[in-house]
Amino acid sequence: MSTIPSEIINWTILNEIISMDDDDSDFSKGLIIQFIDQAQTTFAQMQRQLDGEKNLTELDNLGHFLKGSSAALGLQRIAWVCERIQNLGRKMEHFFPNKTELVNTLSDKSIINGINIDEDDEEIKIQVDDKDENSIYLILIAKALNQSRLEFKLARIELSKYYNTNL
Amino acid sequence: MSFSTINSNVNKTTGDSNNNTTENSSTADLLGMDLLQSGPRLMNTMQPNNSSDMLHINNKTNNVQQPAGNTNISSANAGAKAPANEFVRKLFRILENNEYPDIVTWTENGKSFVVLDTGKFTTHILPNHFKHSNFASFVRQLNKYDFHKVKRSPEERQRCKYGEQSWEFQHPEFRVHYGKGLDNIKRKIPAQRKVLLDESQKALLHFNSEGTNPNNPSGSLLNESTTELLLSNTVSKDAFGNLRRRVDKLQKELDMSKMESYATKVELQKLNSKYNTVIESLITFKTINENLLNNFNTLCSTLANNGIEVPIFGDNGNRNPTGNTNPATTTAIQSNNNTNNASPATSTVSLQLPNLPDQNSLTPNAQNNTVTLRKGFHVLLVEDDAVSIQLCSKFLRKYGCTVQVVSDGLSAISTLEKYRYDLVLMDIVMPNLDGATATSIVRSFDNETPIIAMTGNIMNQDLITYLQHGMNDILAKPFTRDDLHSILIRYLKDRIPLCEQQLPPRNSSPQTHSNTNTANSNPNTINEQSLAMLPQDNPSTTTPVTPGASISSAQHVQQGQQEQQHQIFHAQQQQQHHNAIANARSDVAIPNLEHEINTVPHSSMGSTPQLPQSTLQENQLS
Repeated sequence: MSTIPSEIINWTILNEIISMDDDDSDFSKGLIIQFIDQAQTTFAQMQRQLDGEKNLTELDNLGHFLKGSSAALGLQRIAWVCERIQNLGRKMEHFFPNKTELVNTLSDKSIINGINIDEDDEEIKIQVDDKDENSIYLILIAKALNQSRLEFKLARIELSKYYNTNL
Repeated sequence: MSFSTINSNVNKTTGDSNNNTTENSSTADLLGMDLLQSGPRLMNTMQPNNSSDMLHINNKTNNVQQPAGNTNISSANAGAKAPANEFVRKLFRILENNEYPDIVTWTENGKSFVVLDTGKFTTHILPNHFKHSNFASFVRQLNKYDFHKVKRSPEERQRCKYGEQSWEFQHPEFRVHYGKGLDNIKRKIPAQRKVLLDESQKALLHFNSEGTNPNNPSGSLLNESTTELLLSNTVSKDAFGNLRRRVDKLQKELDMSKMESYATKVELQKLNSKYNTVIESLITFKTINENLLNNFNTLCSTLANNGIEVPIFGDNGNRNPTGNTNPATTTAIQSNNNTNNASPATSTVSLQLPNLPDQNSLTPNAQNNTVTLRKGFHVLLVEDDAVSIQLCSKFLRKYGCTVQVVSDGLSAISTLEKYRYDLVLMDIVMPNLDGATATSIVRSFDNETPIIAMTGNIMNQDLITYLQHGMNDILAKPFTRDDLHSILIRYLKDRIPLCEQQLPPRNSSPQTHSNTNTANSNPNTINEQSLAMLPQDNPSTTTPVTPGASISSAQHVQQGQQEQQHQIFHAQQQQQHHNAIANARSDVAIPNLEHEINTVPHSSMGSTPQLPQSTLQENQLS
């Protein structure tokens, strides 16, 4: 398993998209807004899978989907977490690090000031049948989903600063 | 005087029975008067003389009734008219017999009759002859038989010899001594049901009136049978109504059944259509499967035919079984399909990415910027992620391309069946059908259009899978503008957009030729790069095969070492991939070669003498 990037945004990729604003002034901002909507929808779908069907293949596909769009915009930490969800859904990985460890990897920790990083911990509790061999993967995916929501929040904060608007 | 006049008329009408009729009439009158006068005596005493008179009266009464009975029988035989007409006949007899001259009588001209005393008429005649005591009912009955009251002016009433209170009625067929006319006097036409009911009631009334005469049983029986017939008809008509409703109901049910049958047929046609579609899909998949088997057999044949490679496979198997798989597969794919000639180059280049020196990174970029594409290339973008669609479309339009977007594999197949594109960018993980399978199906009817895989999965096994399904190249996600531009340059640089080609048959050959050239140039480049590395690693080695094994081994080791850090180096790997492609381009172009000679004289000098050998080797292999 690779290591999570320390930068929330890969500005090399995002700046290339922003440069497209020459002939379409709000192109990149529109993409960001569309991604935010897409991410929230995907998070809700993942949560429903964890609460309901618990289909690993479906969670794999959802992780893959959001990984693609977040990576395309340079939101590399979200993409990294989504890749973990994808690989856990395929049972290719068997571990997901703690939130504290991941937060410590941030290059700019000041961004988390004033944020309650434990706000979403309640949702991590899912009912799993201990006899089910998939239970360990489902627990790890729930953990990863919780982390992806946090990374999503951090990314929005940073993007809001850049665009001088509340995204 | 009046009496004798009437008798005279009767004699004229019935000459044959003159005496008999006269005697009967006289006797009836006398008997009537005697009966009235001797009423008290008869009630007080039962003398033999009175008893004899009673018997005589009874006999004569029977004689008088017999003609009426005969008339009834005749009427019954005639049909339903008799009972209906009886009212009129009874009235006619009273008038003809002149039984009540001071109550009801013919008028002088004989064309109408007049009721002189309505009071006595109601009390003396109606109860005895018509079984009710209501003058209004009598008048109403006359109306039913189309009798009309003769209207008089006030002056006429005063001068009327019959008295002011008299009622005169007339009917064209109701005249003095005109018995034949009675047959034409009928009730007005009523509703059919009313006729039935009234006829039934009339028959019953008649039956009751005859019931008091036990000596006339045959008449009663006939009337009874007539009544039963009427009632039967009535029931029959009621049944008819029910049957009619049942028929209507059955007709509606039949219509509904027909509609349901039609709907069922429509559904059957739809199912047949779907069934045919599924059959066609199965046939398509079967064809693709057969193609894959043929390709596999060709692969085995190629390996068998190339005896030289067998020892190589054995040697490499001992050292690096996993790494050895790639070159063999690459060679087989190259020989199988012309369209895939570019694929092994890509695969090999990808394998060598980590080995490329960093010093080449700047020069290829500069060279790449000078290359420009023609405008008007039409690209099909197969992608289900909205963000990626917008981003990639934006990039393509920047480079002068037009873009058509579909969101899944099935749509891609149907679109490519109908239209042609200069290039296809195909995502892999999509709903309905994945990109690799879609490409296999597309290759069954289109081997010319370049199809580029866009995906984040770029492990070696994934690359091989995409190439085997007929894809030309891989564009790893996330990619930059330059990454996309490199792909466009590679596949569209020497082409003319389809929209500008007026004669497709003629231009198809140049395209094929162009593809062949591109495919042929890549192996040379690869060999050149391999040879270029010789001085640095193993100057003394002269065997051409060894460098490939060495590179494969190095690739395998480095791949393992970097497995855990794959994500970190993802961008760098993409960049190196880009550099490698650019480097390949620079080697092909003559001006670039001159530039390279000036920059690295030693390397150039070292590689130049080897080119003829690699060419000869390639010829032998092919």
